[in-house]
Amino acid sequence: MNTETRAVEDSIAKVDNELAVGEDLDFQRRWWRFEKWIWRFFALLVLADIAGLFGRGPLAKAQKHTPDGAMHIKYERIERFSTPSILTIQLGPASVRKGTVHVWVSSSVVDRLGNQRVIPAPSQSEVVKDGVIYTFPADDVPSEIAFALQPADIGLSHLTIRLLDADNKPLPAQDYLNLDIFVMP
Amino acid sequence: MPGLLFVPSTPPRATSISLLTRALCITPIEQKQEHHVAAVLRAAFGYFFLVFMVRIVGRRPGKQMNPFEFVLIFFIGGLALTFTVADDRSLTNAFTQILTIGISHYFLIMLRERYPRIALLLDGSPILLLRKGRWQTEAMEGMLIQADDVMTAARDKGLYSLSEIDYAVLERNGEITIAAVTK
Repeated sequence: MNTETRAVEDSIAKVDNELAVGEDLDFQRRWWRFEKWIWRFFALLVLADIAGLFGRGPLAKAQKHTPDGAMHIKYERIERFSTPSILTIQLGPASVRKGTVHVWVSSSVVDRLGNQRVIPAPSQSEVVKDGVIYTFPADDVPSEIAFALQPADIGLSHLTIRLLDADNKPLPAQDYLNLDIFVMP
Repeated sequence: MPGLLFVPSTPPRATSISLLTRALCITPIEQKQEHHVAAVLRAAFGYFFLVFMVRIVGRRPGKQMNPFEFVLIFFIGGLALTFTVADDRSLTNAFTQILTIGISHYFLIMLRERYPRIALLLDGSPILLLRKGRWQTEAMEGMLIQADDVMTAARDKGLYSLSEIDYAVLERNGEITIAAVTK
């Protein structure tokens, strides 16, 4: 039975005609140059991370408010997957209708941003088309509502928050607040 | 009023019920499945990323790891674990991820065997450190190797002075081999 074989050739480059090393100094020089640049690149990435470019830092924090001051939202425009964060809505006096505050939040707050909890607990929460309506007693306005988020989806999420009147109709003068939140993997 | 109260404005349908459960549950059911599809991809990414990092950081001389390299291995290993496993601690996940890492490794070894350029990228080439009584300073600086490291390897071979060494070569696996002066 024949087995496959191959003749031994002098294929490894020699040094001084005696030592078969197979050194490739040209490649090594290019590699060392590459290493020099990659360390700088790594340092840049770490600095960008400290700055918050990848979330959880000063650059990630953002705020938005309605012109009449009814809502002032503090959030993180860059979130991280499955990592807890807090989105707060500060409510001004203009947000109160018949002793209650009604906040409509698009359903992305739950299915993409993974809302775990609303603090304080709303007196009522109602699931409607494309969103959830939370109702809060407005005894202590101006006050603050917090959403404990834990993003469940990677990529860009759009979150819309608006105030409603006592019959859950959109307040005409009220602007929507549209938030674009990017979730890092 | 403590807790949440659900007052449906329309008769509840399947979709609104699922939205409600998701609103009230701690972890939505649908997320988990989406998550699991990506688990093997995370393992593959983790493998190739670590190979790359070790290539950049590694190849210091010595047969055994020194204490600092233990720190590197355990720290990087521990951090890699958090994102590959994430919240899926099931046997299934461990099984499929280990399979993925095995396949990734085999794939890399196969490429290395077939294409010399890839072998060069993965392992580098052997490098002369000492040649006929002259230090190859460019190579030594490039690989962060000192004369001491070469002597360590020489003593291991029973050579006790630099004059007894003809060649010292840093091998692809990080070891230094010594060729003694031929008499």
